[in-house]
Amino acid sequence: MKHVPRQPRDGVNVSTTHPLAEAGTLIAGLAALFVVFVLLTVFLVEVVLYFVPAEKEADLFSSWLPDDLETVSPDDERLVATQALVDGLALLWPESPYEFRVEIDNSDVANALAFPGGLIVVTRGLLDDAETENELAFVLGHELGHYHNRDHIRALGRGAVLALFFAVTTRSDVSGLGLNVGDLTLRSFGRKQELAADEFGLALVNQHYGHVRDAWRMFERWQEESGSPSNAGAIAAYTSTHPQTADRIRRLEQLAMREGWLLDGPVTALAW
Amino acid sequence: MDGATLHRIGLFIQYAWPLLLLLSTYVIGTIIEKRHFSSIRQREQDCIAMPVVSFDTMPDDWQAGASTLVTGSIVISLDYFKRVVAGLRALFGGRIKTYEPLLDRARREAVLRMIEDAQSQGFDAVFNVRLQTSRLANSWGEGNSVAGVEMLAFGTAVKLGSGLAPGPERS
Repeated sequence: MKHVPRQPRDGVNVSTTHPLAEAGTLIAGLAALFVVFVLLTVFLVEVVLYFVPAEKEADLFSSWLPDDLETVSPDDERLVATQALVDGLALLWPESPYEFRVEIDNSDVANALAFPGGLIVVTRGLLDDAETENELAFVLGHELGHYHNRDHIRALGRGAVLALFFAVTTRSDVSGLGLNVGDLTLRSFGRKQELAADEFGLALVNQHYGHVRDAWRMFERWQEESGSPSNAGAIAAYTSTHPQTADRIRRLEQLAMREGWLLDGPVTALAW
Repeated sequence: MDGATLHRIGLFIQYAWPLLLLLSTYVIGTIIEKRHFSSIRQREQDCIAMPVVSFDTMPDDWQAGASTLVTGSIVISLDYFKRVVAGLRALFGGRIKTYEPLLDRARREAVLRMIEDAQSQGFDAVFNVRLQTSRLANSWGEGNSVAGVEMLAFGTAVKLGSGLAPGPERS
């Protein structure tokens, strides 16, 4: 038998597509998929908001508690006082379909959260940080603002998009990058909601006390403690869920000015 | 260093680092791949005269003086860029084009090493050549992630009787 020497041919087993073109096509495809996810979820959330009015939501979740909450006993004096403060603020929003319930979560991180059905969770850290009732009232008013704009339902939608996107991409090595970009896009929606909630909260505080003194005093203290300069840069601001503290304070001051709300008045001490 | 600078560095690491890693592993991986292919082509040219066939029995007109098992094996790994693109491909399906040159290199390199094994022992031809691939698991990712693949080429090398060495000029 004759042996015909031949070199293996290049290109038989290797596609000619340029690797960068391949990467570009796939990334564009993934981005398109993500846009579809976001639009679909925005649509679904609007459908939910339409078919489940606030009254229905308040009814559905009236006795619901998140599982991982470390609550304090119902007769805790700080809980009673905070609940009374929320009830007082809620009187200024008579159309509200919610019956607001307050729970204290045993966590050091200062935070307040709005859950479906009118459940407001404040952390022990937040109560420890508050020095006057006016400071606390603004944070609670801000949470009421979230209910007013029904942001807590929209936030569920945002969580759902991220969870879905994570589920799809988690099996590939791009999950980190894709999630970062996706989260970045969604966070800008979040910041607009926070500012709208701030406006609602400050209006409540002004009605309640007749002035807005000390409303954002807690933010100013946090800012002083963190020692960060007043402007940490545009990129930094873009990437945080909540508006930059300095930006937030500035907007609150401008709002108070515009509305002619008094910046001075008697400060109410905390009930405990 | 103030808080804002630290924050910027954090952001840079979070967003720019994966992109930089992707680009730099693409550049480095491409250079390595080009070099490997040119080495493969050169060596294939050098041993072109040696018959290497996949028949499982020796052709009738070969008269073997001696025979032995020869092997050539290579362990080759993906670069990060190939892995990421393949990961995206796994979402949508289709040919994983970034893996194709990698496996082509592995096959050809394994065969070359087998031939070099045979040549170094003075054999004249190899028949019954087979290729085998096995996946090497990484210790992380619960052993499910892939560290690389091993490509093994093996065959039976023979010394052919005097004057009977097949070549392009013989029949």
